[in-house]
Amino acid sequence: MNTVLGVTLQGIEALPVEVEVEITGGLFSISVVGLPDAAVREARERVRAALRALGMSVRGRVAVNLAPADRPKEGALLDLAMAMGIASSMKKASCLKPALFLGELALDGRVRRVRGAVPAAILARKRGWPLFVSPENAAEVALVHGVEAYAVETLADLFDHFSGQGQLPRVEQDPGSEFQGKPDPDFADIKGQSAAKRALEIAAAGHHNVLFVGSPGSGKTLLARALRGVLPPLSDEEMLETLLVRSTVGLASEYSRERPFRAVHHTASAISICGGGSTMRPGEISLAHRGVLFLDEFTEFRRDLLESLRQPLEDGVISVSRAAGTVTYPARVLLATACNPCPCGFYGDPVEPCRCSASALERYRRKISGPILDRIDLYVNVPRLTPEELVQIGDDNGPPSEHVREKVIAARTMQWERWGDQGYQCNAELPEKVLRRQVAVGGEERAFLKTMASKMRLSGRGISRVVKVGRTIADLAGSEKVAVEHLAEALAYREGGALPWTQ
Amino acid sequence: MARHLEIGAAGEAWAARELERLGYRIIETNVNYGVGELDIVAEESGEIAVVEVRTRTIGRMLPPEATVGPRKTRKLVKAGSIWVDRNGWDGPWRIDIAAVTLSASGEPTLEIFKDITAGSDWL
Repeated sequence: MNTVLGVTLQGIEALPVEVEVEITGGLFSISVVGLPDAAVREARERVRAALRALGMSVRGRVAVNLAPADRPKEGALLDLAMAMGIASSMKKASCLKPALFLGELALDGRVRRVRGAVPAAILARKRGWPLFVSPENAAEVALVHGVEAYAVETLADLFDHFSGQGQLPRVEQDPGSEFQGKPDPDFADIKGQSAAKRALEIAAAGHHNVLFVGSPGSGKTLLARALRGVLPPLSDEEMLETLLVRSTVGLASEYSRERPFRAVHHTASAISICGGGSTMRPGEISLAHRGVLFLDEFTEFRRDLLESLRQPLEDGVISVSRAAGTVTYPARVLLATACNPCPCGFYGDPVEPCRCSASALERYRRKISGPILDRIDLYVNVPRLTPEELVQIGDDNGPPSEHVREKVIAARTMQWERWGDQGYQCNAELPEKVLRRQVAVGGEERAFLKTMASKMRLSGRGISRVVKVGRTIADLAGSEKVAVEHLAEALAYREGGALPWTQ
Repeated sequence: MARHLEIGAAGEAWAARELERLGYRIIETNVNYGVGELDIVAEESGEIAVVEVRTRTIGRMLPPEATVGPRKTRKLVKAGSIWVDRNGWDGPWRIDIAAVTLSASGEPTLEIFKDITAGSDWL
């Protein structure tokens, strides 16, 4: 087996690529075979210049084969592996045991950061290979525990390491900081809106989808942003999952346990949200994995885009299929959305009259389809505060985010203890069969649910979502059993207030 | 012989002497294969160097090295390949340009451009 290995990404998974190099006599040329894309083909210029910067002049006909030959290779990930392959073929450096090389080369031999370092680290750990990466990638690799990784500043350092003339620094493992930024905005800074705050608490505790409806200026966006401050920290497993996605996209990772919060503007394209594109990257929904995907002005999004969220919202993964193949990205998000109740924005407002015609309301209503609305657990009406409430300088804005967050963490811990062994992190993730069998709903509660379901014309999914939310409310209350009061509260959020959709 | 040919031949002879001084071991000169002519075939630092000599008087529009274009380069590659093939050379080889510039008083200066095809995709 060839010992010089690089990686190529498929979805958020790194696949090993063997780099084989043959040098024969002839006029100088480097040819790269094995389905390289333009960036890989251009690597030969970078590799040659970097090797020359070290005083190694590549001569003759150089053939670089990237195996497996039938899988497309993409990006500048393979520069370092190709340089190592050429150097070992020239007998200038020898790599006796299989090792993974990952990095883009600068013309002077420096090693630059690339996307996909975390998937590569996970591959290296699985196979027991050492990993050589740019120091700029070291911080994210450090979060993958149990991998033997080295930070390579320049190509010269790498060759010294293999010839025994030097020793590359090991990447120290990083447990990941517990640091959570100060909540901004804090719950305590938001006047009134106690019902909305309660809904956020439930959403954060069980990872339930939430929709805020209110007139302009009522504070929908502010509330949704405050969700960030009450989310529980990521667990080890979850942190690795979010890290994988971020690394695959090539975003500089934030090395904290804070959950991702991705606010997307309504002009976004389907690919930017779902993932895909010519280079097959995860979209916003995957970047928001284990965190919040916030869609402000929900009704302004393109219809087909919202419809494309239906499947990932249910399954927690998104499959992107293209002619070149299908990849699956994680997409377990808390969907937080906000919109006005009608085009003019004042439907149901106690003071301002709504100026929309019946047909305008109908058209507005049609922008959001039933299947999408069915996937939202908590409908929250955000009323405008009265002038008295607004100017009142009171301290009693309810508990600060920090306190709410503690309650949320306690509820999440209960869920984790209950479902963790089965592989579920929170109530929202529970599949139907588990829900039916294991969520304790007594006879009285069952009867209540039955009456309400027929009264509210709930779908099968609607009922199971109500039960999940009820479970979360019970968790927040510290109750082992889901009682009628918990279900009643869950149903209240389901019904919403003066929502045009539920009239 | 036309004047430009005379200058060319003199330039080649002078360049060959200079190259020897610089460590090129001249193997053959003026090799003609029909597809193109090789001015000098030499061995330098373990490689075969096919040297194209260009001589020009100073003040011409183009410097000597700029007169080797893609067409000439392709011819050199073809002729060079035939040479290494016929002479059984299986190591690396390259194409150099020896640019000889004559000053107004006829004093020659030499500039060598090594491995002119490196990094070119169009060949």
